[in-house]
Amino acid sequence: MDKWKKLTASLLGPAAAIALGLLAGSIAIVIAGGSILETYAEMWKGAFGSLYFLTSTLNRATPVILVGLGAAVAFRSGFFNLGAQGQMALGGLAAALTALYVPGPGWIVAIVSMLVGIAAGGLWSAFAGYMDARFRMNLLITTLLLNYIATLFASYMVAYPFKDKTGSAAMAQSQMIDNAIWLPKLFKGMPAHVGLLLALVAMVALYVYLTRTVSGYEARMMGGNPLFAVYGGVRRTPLMLGVMFASGGLAGLAGAGEVLGSQYRYIDNSFVAADFAWTGIMAALLANAHPIGTAIAAFFLVALQTGGMGVEMNTDVPLEIGDVIQAVLILFITVKFVRGFRRRRKEGDPNGAAV
Amino acid sequence: MEQLFDLALFNSALRMLTPILLAALGGALCARVGLFNVGLEGLMLIGAFSAIVGNHYFGNTGAAIAFSIGCVSLFALLFAYLCIHLRANVIVVGIAMNLLAAGLTTFSLRTLFNVKGAYYNKDMVGLPKWEIPLIKDIPVVGDILSGHSPLVYLAIVLVGAMWYYFYRTIGGFRFLAAGDNPLAARSLGIQVRRYQYGAMLACGVLCALAGAQLSLGQVTMFTEGMTAGRGFIALVATMLGQSGPLGVAAASLLFGLMDAFSIRLQGFAMPSHFTQMVPYAVTIAAMFFFKNKEFVKDAQSSGTSSR
Repeated sequence: MDKWKKLTASLLGPAAAIALGLLAGSIAIVIAGGSILETYAEMWKGAFGSLYFLTSTLNRATPVILVGLGAAVAFRSGFFNLGAQGQMALGGLAAALTALYVPGPGWIVAIVSMLVGIAAGGLWSAFAGYMDARFRMNLLITTLLLNYIATLFASYMVAYPFKDKTGSAAMAQSQMIDNAIWLPKLFKGMPAHVGLLLALVAMVALYVYLTRTVSGYEARMMGGNPLFAVYGGVRRTPLMLGVMFASGGLAGLAGAGEVLGSQYRYIDNSFVAADFAWTGIMAALLANAHPIGTAIAAFFLVALQTGGMGVEMNTDVPLEIGDVIQAVLILFITVKFVRGFRRRRKEGDPNGAAV
Repeated sequence: MEQLFDLALFNSALRMLTPILLAALGGALCARVGLFNVGLEGLMLIGAFSAIVGNHYFGNTGAAIAFSIGCVSLFALLFAYLCIHLRANVIVVGIAMNLLAAGLTTFSLRTLFNVKGAYYNKDMVGLPKWEIPLIKDIPVVGDILSGHSPLVYLAIVLVGAMWYYFYRTIGGFRFLAAGDNPLAARSLGIQVRRYQYGAMLACGVLCALAGAQLSLGQVTMFTEGMTAGRGFIALVATMLGQSGPLGVAAASLLFGLMDAFSIRLQGFAMPSHFTQMVPYAVTIAAMFFFKNKEFVKDAQSSGTSSR
């Protein structure tokens, strides 16, 4: 019985958050002059309505899951890496350039491009970790600032030296990569690509790493109580560099997968516009940095976005309805109701460690 | 070099630092009571949008700013209630606030004004430019300080006011104590929550002013996502200035100068990408000299004060 009570209590918050999100969405729909039921039906159809829509949701979820996992491993270890946007941009750019200029059989080039993407994102992220470990420069600030530098650099690369001059000249984008290098699709003619499987593999690997390995235990210990971890003999600097490399590498892989599997070129601003990075970070925060929870949260956050696109296509309500519902839902989802609040007070604040 | 550095550079720097400074002061207030406000960007965006809405319906900048302050305060109160009473994770709520602001302003832009991207109306009045009588006649200082919107001067006055409040009044000491060690403060009978609500509300007002300066100050229009990362820059200024009013002002000045400087550099046929990087690169370089606390000390202090 006690178990059931605990379960219902833990589900109360998310359920209330979803209800409030839908309520806020309904108000917005009425203001925009749409019909509530019809709009929500369109939203469902836009996200899961057919195999095509479901796979396009999965396609969009792929980079978000990878970014989320990257954020999760850093948060678990107590390192607040907010630099996914820049790491992803560099990963995507590096993968695109490798795919364009390295000769060889398609599948080998694809794998090499992904590895280069991982390395680019990972090193950029580890650089921030190094500055924190060596010069005590606040990781939170440096990762935020490095975002801007990386995205601007990637924009420059595709706006000047590597700009695609063959097609319409107005777009800042790289040339299209050869279709032998494209990542294969999971279903013929559907958007989802092999990157999704990679994301799921990464999810399982991260789960195993965190729960079953010594290094994963050290990482969690560092996140839970850094003093205890250092006292227990964990060496902080190597751990920090490793974790930050993994975190940025996953974001880099997200960018590489998006370039090789979905867009087939690096298009300036396309990652920022789709908000992959912040949605991924959000998913990790919502799931309290649990790898499997992060992936599930990422999937549902993305479903709200693709659902919004379906709404815009078929009704007069703008697609931002998805963003509004998503934001209200997130606002309330970490709310602790009274029961939980009393217990938490005794234990102290477990979320405080992340900051 | 003469074209690079002249008085107009400092004049435009002052204009550009104002929104950042206002928001950063708000961020500093929140940080001092233990609420790390990542939502500055969103609050500022709501401020910019509601200032334009107020301007459209009332046709008067004073009423527009009042309307903007009202709207943002509402969101700030919601933010505060979620974090303080319902104990939600502050960072999650902050990021959600940014998402909400981006979605809500775009959504409202299309439902209220039926436009996509930007709203501009030539009938709207912008903020006036104040020529300050005595100062404007002083040769160098006058060129820099004169001819700005009232909000620019308000921002400068607020830095002094906040410094005075923090370090010279009893209320300010209690405010700082409430943030430094909530447990000890509570045992002395200080209403910690009241200070937290006050800080959040003041932060909302400051972000509303920052947004109004953006949408009514230089240009009189609203574009989607017009804050363009300034809220995050303000956050960085808060942290760089270690949440003290003077430090925050210095950090914002650095950003304003670098912003103005980067626009100036564009005249020299440099790709704008690199000139836009300048403020961020300079900040990272500046951080080299403002060292972070040792993480061990950080962990110890977070162990003693429960939020």
